[in-house]
Amino acid sequence: MTDNPAVYVVDDDGDLGASVARLLTRHGYAAEPFSDPAPLLAIYAQSPAHCIVTDIMMGDIDGFGFADQLRRIDPAVAIVFMTAWPTTANAVDSVRRYGGLDYLEKPLDEDRLLAAVGEGVAWSRGRRAALARTAHLTPRERQVFELLVQGHPNKVVADRLGLSPKTVEDHRAAVLAKTGTNGLAQLIALAS
Amino acid sequence: MASFTPALPREGERARPVLAWVPMRGDWILLALYAVGFWLAHGVAAPWGGTGYYSLWFPAAGVRLALLWRGGARLTIAAALVELLVDTIDGAVDPFGADRVLAIIGVVRPVVAYGLTVAAIRWLASGARAELLTAPMPFGLAAVLAPNMAALAALPQALLRPELTGVAGAHDVLLSLSDFAVGDLLGTLIVAPPLLWIADRLASREIPNFALRKAALAEAVGVLLASLLIAGTFTAAGLGLQPMPVLLATVWIGLRFGRAPAWMALVLVVALVLPQTAGATAAAARLQIHLALATVVVAGYLAGSFADAQAHARADLSRRDRLLFQAERLKTLRAMSVAVIHEVSQPLSTLAIEARHLHELSVGADPEIAAGAALIDRKAHALSDLVRRLRRFGGSAADQPSALPVSALLDTVSGLAQAEAKAARVRLEIDPGDPDLLVFAQEVELAQAAVNLVRNAVHACDDGVVRVDALKREEQVVISVHNRCAVRPRGAAGMGVGLLVARAIVEAHGGRIERQDADGLITHSILLPLAGEP
Repeated sequence: MTDNPAVYVVDDDGDLGASVARLLTRHGYAAEPFSDPAPLLAIYAQSPAHCIVTDIMMGDIDGFGFADQLRRIDPAVAIVFMTAWPTTANAVDSVRRYGGLDYLEKPLDEDRLLAAVGEGVAWSRGRRAALARTAHLTPRERQVFELLVQGHPNKVVADRLGLSPKTVEDHRAAVLAKTGTNGLAQLIALAS
Repeated sequence: MASFTPALPREGERARPVLAWVPMRGDWILLALYAVGFWLAHGVAAPWGGTGYYSLWFPAAGVRLALLWRGGARLTIAAALVELLVDTIDGAVDPFGADRVLAIIGVVRPVVAYGLTVAAIRWLASGARAELLTAPMPFGLAAVLAPNMAALAALPQALLRPELTGVAGAHDVLLSLSDFAVGDLLGTLIVAPPLLWIADRLASREIPNFALRKAALAEAVGVLLASLLIAGTFTAAGLGLQPMPVLLATVWIGLRFGRAPAWMALVLVVALVLPQTAGATAAAARLQIHLALATVVVAGYLAGSFADAQAHARADLSRRDRLLFQAERLKTLRAMSVAVIHEVSQPLSTLAIEARHLHELSVGADPEIAAGAALIDRKAHALSDLVRRLRRFGGSAADQPSALPVSALLDTVSGLAQAEAKAARVRLEIDPGDPDLLVFAQEVELAQAAVNLVRNAVHACDDGVVRVDALKREEQVVISVHNRCAVRPRGAAGMGVGLLVARAIVEAHGGRIERQDADGLITHSILLPLAGEP
């Protein structure tokens, strides 16, 4: 596996999927085409990607349903939608409800596609790094972390969790150490 | 009046109030003709004159109604001045005599009554109220009502100062006003229609159909002759003058064949009767005959107008039906186009990506291969642009209006109309004007309005060039489509829906469409409020 960012292209038109994948490969991505979302979902947990470019109107699962399932497996993957039936309602939904990064109209505007994928990969990398840094927190530390990033002072956190302020202070130190941050501001940045 | 082709305001008309009493440039010829016509008609009426009224046969009333109907009620004052002038020259009125004020009022009063009647009928027949009055009923009503209004308007003076017209007592007043109304009625119904038809003919407007088929002609002539024969028999049998047979005959002709044949029958009847009542006939007997004649004329002409109005309404209805079918077909076509666009856009995406890649790869390869790849790439992109534009245009979701550069709008219009212009061998010259010119608009709709105007121009174009430009005039943006045009549009003319739709769109944007003709150059302009500074 190379260090190139991984991108999956899903389109029930196999030719188009392959074409887009080749285009992305030429621009330095490890892109792979799929003409059906189901097989991709089956292998996704083993080989996650930074960005998914998916059609909306597809056979069994449509692009939105696919996006929902994907998010459940991997909250840190960027999704770019493309469609040959653009509507305003779908465009809004794709961004607001399904966390899409962009909504591309076919025939595709190449530059916009590349920009969207580039942005998606960058976002996904940042998100993954943040998740990785909070991955080793104990359950108790995660609870403390989540209350802290909501802006609660130590005393309130202690009250809520039924701990002494001194214990919360210790947990806080542990969270800062494990996530490699030095202060509340950086913690909040990590959580957002 | 009931036509589907919208009458667009011409340049300059908007700037004037609805009732601009001062005649415009073109009105002077009309008024000069009126002076001559009024003078001649006045002379013709003299043999049927009597006490307390001018004549029992007053063709000048018809000339007056024709002028006011064609020129509009705004010419009332001018017409009254013309009549005053003619009457003064004629000696009928002495503007310096003792009773000059009343004499002048006597001349002006009927003109004003006519003007008000015309204005009222025009108002009733306009806008949403037009449903009640299908052409040519409004004119028929005006021709019947105006003389009666004029007679009623004379009532106060006849009661207050009867000595002025030389009548005394209620009986005489009634008699004199009836005479007055009858004379005017015959004048308006017999003289005004042909004058208006001549004017319509000169202006290349639609005129009623005079040519009857042989069978219809035989029927009309037969019915009329039979009625005259029956009426003559009644008279010979000592039953007096009975108008009923002739009345039935003219109503028959009117209802069956429309107002032109009815009018011709009426002219025949009037021509038969009038010579008998000219000159020394006793006033009472003459009034009887003319009242009967007026009854026949009113009934016959209104019957003809009604039949024509029915025919108009039927024609409109079948036209609406055809429009409906067309709209339905367009709806289907739209759904099909959207499906086709979808089917095309899918492979086109692949083509465009691969073409671009091929183009990039072929740089430095054999020049012929490079040129071919570059061409394929360019065409694939042009096609992609076209598909995107078509989809935006065909999309049903209405976007929110936004500040839209007029140059971008004209670019879209060019893309959408160019192909059709080319097919019609018309060159489309588009001058986008100032790139900073903005309008606040719903792009797709406004593009459609402009495309409709351009398409109309392309199909009406004579010299193979349609010019489109945009400029700023005061606080407005004026997008104009110019074409040189023959009277008859060439090729398959549309149904006039394009202009109707364009006007509806532009008016929904707070603008309007104007038409301007100058030396054969026809300009349709979309006027829209200028959007704020960019």
